[in-house]
Amino acid sequence: MNKSSKLINWQPDRSKYPELDENGKAIIDLSSQKFIKTWQGPNHPGVTGNMSLELTISGDEVVEAKTHVGYLHRGFEKLMERRLYIQCFPTCVRMCVPEADSNEYVLAAGIEELDNIEVPEMALWLRTLVLEMARLQVLLRTVPGQASTLSLGLGGQWGMYLRDLILDRFEELTGGRIYHMFIIPGGVRGNLPSGFKDRMEENLKLIDDFIIRIEDLIFTNSVFNKRTIGVGVIDPKWVSQYGIVGPNARAAGFKRDVRKDYPYLKYNELDYDVYTRTDSDIYGRSQVRKNDLIQTVDLIRQILAKMPEKGDLRAKTPNVMHWKVPKGETYQRSESSRGEYGLYLVSDGSKYPRRANLRGPSYTHAVSLLERMLINSNISDTHAIMVSLQTCPPEIER
Amino acid sequence: MGLKELVTPFTAWKNVIKDPVTVKDPFNDRPGAERYRGFHKNDVEECIGCGTCEDICENEAIDLVPVEGIETKDGDSGLRPRLDYGRCCWCALCVDVCTTGSLTLSNEYTWVSEDPEDFRYTPGTDKKEWDDNERGWKKPEGGYEFYARERVAMPELHAEDRDKSFIEFVTGYSKQQAEEEADRCVECGICTATCPAHMGIPEYIKAIRNDDLEEGLRILYETNPLPEICGRICTHKCETVCSMGHRGDPISIRWLKRYIADQNPSEKYKEILNQGNVENNGKKVAIIGSGPSGLSAAYYLALTGYDCTIYEKLPQAGGMMRYGIPEYRLPYDQIDKDIDYILSLGVKIKYNVNIGTDFTLEQLGKDYDAVFSGTGLHLGRSTRIPGSDNENVYFATDLLREIALEDDIPVEKKIVVIGGGNVAMDITRSLARLQNIKYGKVDITATSLESEDIMPADREEVVEAREEKAIVDPGWGPKEIEIKDGKVKGLRVVKCLSVFDEKGAFSPKFDENNKKFFEADMVVESIGQGMDTGYLTEEIKSQLEFGPRGRIIVDEYFQSGLNWLFVGGDIIQGPDVIHGIANGHRAAVGIDLFLNK
Amino acid sequence: METIINDIKARFEVSDITKQRDNFTIVTCKKELAVALVTHLKDVEKFSHLVLLSAVDWIEDNKFQITYILNNPDSRIDIGVRTFIDRETATMDSAHHLWEHVATYQRELHEMYGINFPGSPRINESFILEGWDDIPPMLRNFNTKQYSEDTFFPRPGRGSNDPAEYMKKKLYPNE
Repeated sequence: MNKSSKLINWQPDRSKYPELDENGKAIIDLSSQKFIKTWQGPNHPGVTGNMSLELTISGDEVVEAKTHVGYLHRGFEKLMERRLYIQCFPTCVRMCVPEADSNEYVLAAGIEELDNIEVPEMALWLRTLVLEMARLQVLLRTVPGQASTLSLGLGGQWGMYLRDLILDRFEELTGGRIYHMFIIPGGVRGNLPSGFKDRMEENLKLIDDFIIRIEDLIFTNSVFNKRTIGVGVIDPKWVSQYGIVGPNARAAGFKRDVRKDYPYLKYNELDYDVYTRTDSDIYGRSQVRKNDLIQTVDLIRQILAKMPEKGDLRAKTPNVMHWKVPKGETYQRSESSRGEYGLYLVSDGSKYPRRANLRGPSYTHAVSLLERMLINSNISDTHAIMVSLQTCPPEIER
Repeated sequence: MGLKELVTPFTAWKNVIKDPVTVKDPFNDRPGAERYRGFHKNDVEECIGCGTCEDICENEAIDLVPVEGIETKDGDSGLRPRLDYGRCCWCALCVDVCTTGSLTLSNEYTWVSEDPEDFRYTPGTDKKEWDDNERGWKKPEGGYEFYARERVAMPELHAEDRDKSFIEFVTGYSKQQAEEEADRCVECGICTATCPAHMGIPEYIKAIRNDDLEEGLRILYETNPLPEICGRICTHKCETVCSMGHRGDPISIRWLKRYIADQNPSEKYKEILNQGNVENNGKKVAIIGSGPSGLSAAYYLALTGYDCTIYEKLPQAGGMMRYGIPEYRLPYDQIDKDIDYILSLGVKIKYNVNIGTDFTLEQLGKDYDAVFSGTGLHLGRSTRIPGSDNENVYFATDLLREIALEDDIPVEKKIVVIGGGNVAMDITRSLARLQNIKYGKVDITATSLESEDIMPADREEVVEAREEKAIVDPGWGPKEIEIKDGKVKGLRVVKCLSVFDEKGAFSPKFDENNKKFFEADMVVESIGQGMDTGYLTEEIKSQLEFGPRGRIIVDEYFQSGLNWLFVGGDIIQGPDVIHGIANGHRAAVGIDLFLNK
Repeated sequence: METIINDIKARFEVSDITKQRDNFTIVTCKKELAVALVTHLKDVEKFSHLVLLSAVDWIEDNKFQITYILNNPDSRIDIGVRTFIDRETATMDSAHHLWEHVATYQRELHEMYGINFPGSPRINESFILEGWDDIPPMLRNFNTKQYSEDTFFPRPGRGSNDPAEYMKKKLYPNE
């Protein structure tokens, strides 16, 4: 709850509020006319994507929340069981919509591990570049997006424009803007076009300027600070209880980053630090993401400087039309902008995968954690809390 | 929460004086990137309708449909891909897997139409405004392949190890090599139509991939009872139309066929092929000639229940396969493996019997219900140049037959072979080996009218002949064989400028001033073969129809004008082992229809 | 890593130890001991992070495989615990008392595979599919193509040709 100001007596008259039981949970009696049940979503500017929150509200305090997902279930995991491995990847890429490259990477890495394929150097560098660019375009929308939930939409507009420029870079590198279909089992599907590094550097300069401007607009803003500091606090004990990963865990003081802990691709040749904070509220998480954004810009500059000029794009694999991956199972993970993103792949030695189960961070953030965090929060803060967890419904129900 | 936090956000107001970012005309100012995956284009001339794009599309968005104006022919199925944009996701896998590289994407991304049926179209045939757009997604370069382009090399013996004996010099694929080569196939099925016997090629290549060689043998025997032989010396017309051949090496279909036959031991054939007990239907068929057409007819007739008897002029069966192809290309024990299996089905064979002298054809016609004649082309043709009637001038066919009969043939120190086909290469390489054995050195020259680029012999034959130290000097026309004291001294030739005229008819032109003389003690002529129809009496000939160059006219079942006489093999089509096999099979079907009418 | 594996081998009779990567091992455990093993790994061996709870349908062996993947964030090792349960009577002990989000995974497995976890909160509430009245869809015997053909009516006018058969029809129909 917000700290009270000394000018006005802000303490609510709790006689009108529901009683609390011994756990601190409100006792809900829907016939007592103290409660309103309302739905936030699925078609709502106040949700990230298509999911809905069923809120039970007393006054303007949320006493119970339930997350309902299922509006984006496309059945990809079942579809992948009927497709060849090479046909799986256009299906897999659509599982998480905002950051599509992580899907391609974990599927390709899983297949390459099961079949012992070594990806060429150039392809590894290109994969790293593409994953960092994907993180960049997500953060360009999310970092100022936090303020949009509190009705400061200006930063979000700037961010969307710069994101569009990055999508242009994606278009000339991979051939698509949102679904890149660039990382395939064995390698990648194209090399840098000429002039790419210069155009990218121009865009990165604009982003540097943008970071300074949103620092002024959003993070040095009394309204933003008042509404986010102390709100949506994640207790550090919950990090292991709820399986929290990514910036949410880093803002609670846990130094966890898949790129450092389980290095993959070319991350062990790049120079970066993991930024943590201890305040674990919405403000803290926004700061962590802002630092991730600064770090990503720096990483892209390092990658473009260290990348070789040319090389093979794809390793030699069996004929993709009848590729039988040996029997086995594996779990591959990568760090998306939201946290640990992984794929559990089981193969039975035939041309089709037996089971491909995607683990998205929002599976726990948006369902169990959100339901816990929304209790006793103000209804005007629900959207802010949800966005601060960076929930992404497509990866919950695939 | 000091003054700074209250005032700093207002610095954003400085953007009011800046220009907004606008793209005024998105259609023209903002085209798709160079590599953008837009709408499909197809080069219908390059496309062969192989259907690999249909197989790889995971949304089943592509159908192969016949297109007006494009005809089905060898190597082109006549079908073209039709796309359904209600299902396509523009992943460009179809472009990356295209075997000819004809399917590409443009970078066009807007298409508005009121009719939903418009969005199912055949690119290349249905004209669209992006057909001339060069930009768009093309298959990337730099080691990016969905299947291997080079074929797995077939191990062979080196020239020094093979040129002093007749041992087989192609050693065959190992299991790993065969599976790697079979992996390259995309199962399009275009090869089946070109094969004269229409073998189920994609199916037996798939059997190799699945390591199910018994199933592979069954598939082979459905259309071809001589797999060991064809697996070594077939003219592989299928490989010339293989879709992988457009941008890489065609699949080594012949060597894969040999792999399947090699891996199955002859004792197990009956069990694998499950052809043990066939009921005899009481009818008898005579077959003249135990070459490929005769053996194939005997096999298929025996499986249908007929009692077949083969009459063979020479001491062993095989026809041109044994008596025309040298042992280093086709070892005799492999011929025996295939022939013995056919004989084990109850086919009888009589050796050293000459129809025409020992029996007459009319006699056979009375004793048997039907007769199939596959006597082949065993007579050599002569150039008829002055000096070619000398006793030291031989025909290649005669010499090859005598080598196979294990008779001693004359091998002189210097030999010249006239001819540029596979038979000329066969006799050249056989004589080179015999020269090595007899004299320890090789001095043999092969010369032909055709220049090197249009020589009818297989490229590998010429290369290997040169490795075995024979000289191949093409592009000369024989003028005269110089004789002195009754002995051949050499061959006089003049430069041949061209062999065929504009219409394609045989009309060689020479340059009389460019002369050469090949020294030789022996000349071998290998310019063509003719048929021996001595067994056709005048009465029988009167009931047959003859076409140009004396060929007998037959219908689609190889039945001649005389209704119990069926003729096939080299004398009708080919000359080729696989045509003989196909003819024999078809004639067997025809005989069955004729006798059961 | 080795010491941990040897320890649980002695205590919980694990079998079929697969070393997938240097820091990732998968073991098979009996159904009755699986939750106890997971509890032991969480509390004693400090595998405090549950990564995934998934199921695989092995219809030809008539079994479901349930996989728990646990992660020790401090020492950076992963362990996968597989157990096999019978496909007809698909029930497994619930582990919802260990972590909060296990309840969500178990809800999804109940809906998608029909595996029951008695005692798990909100297990019968639909998670992803609302109003589904067919068999649990992730089972191998659920044919998605058949379902889509029965339920939806595609626009008519599609039809394809196989190149080999078309060439046979056109070039050599009688052979």
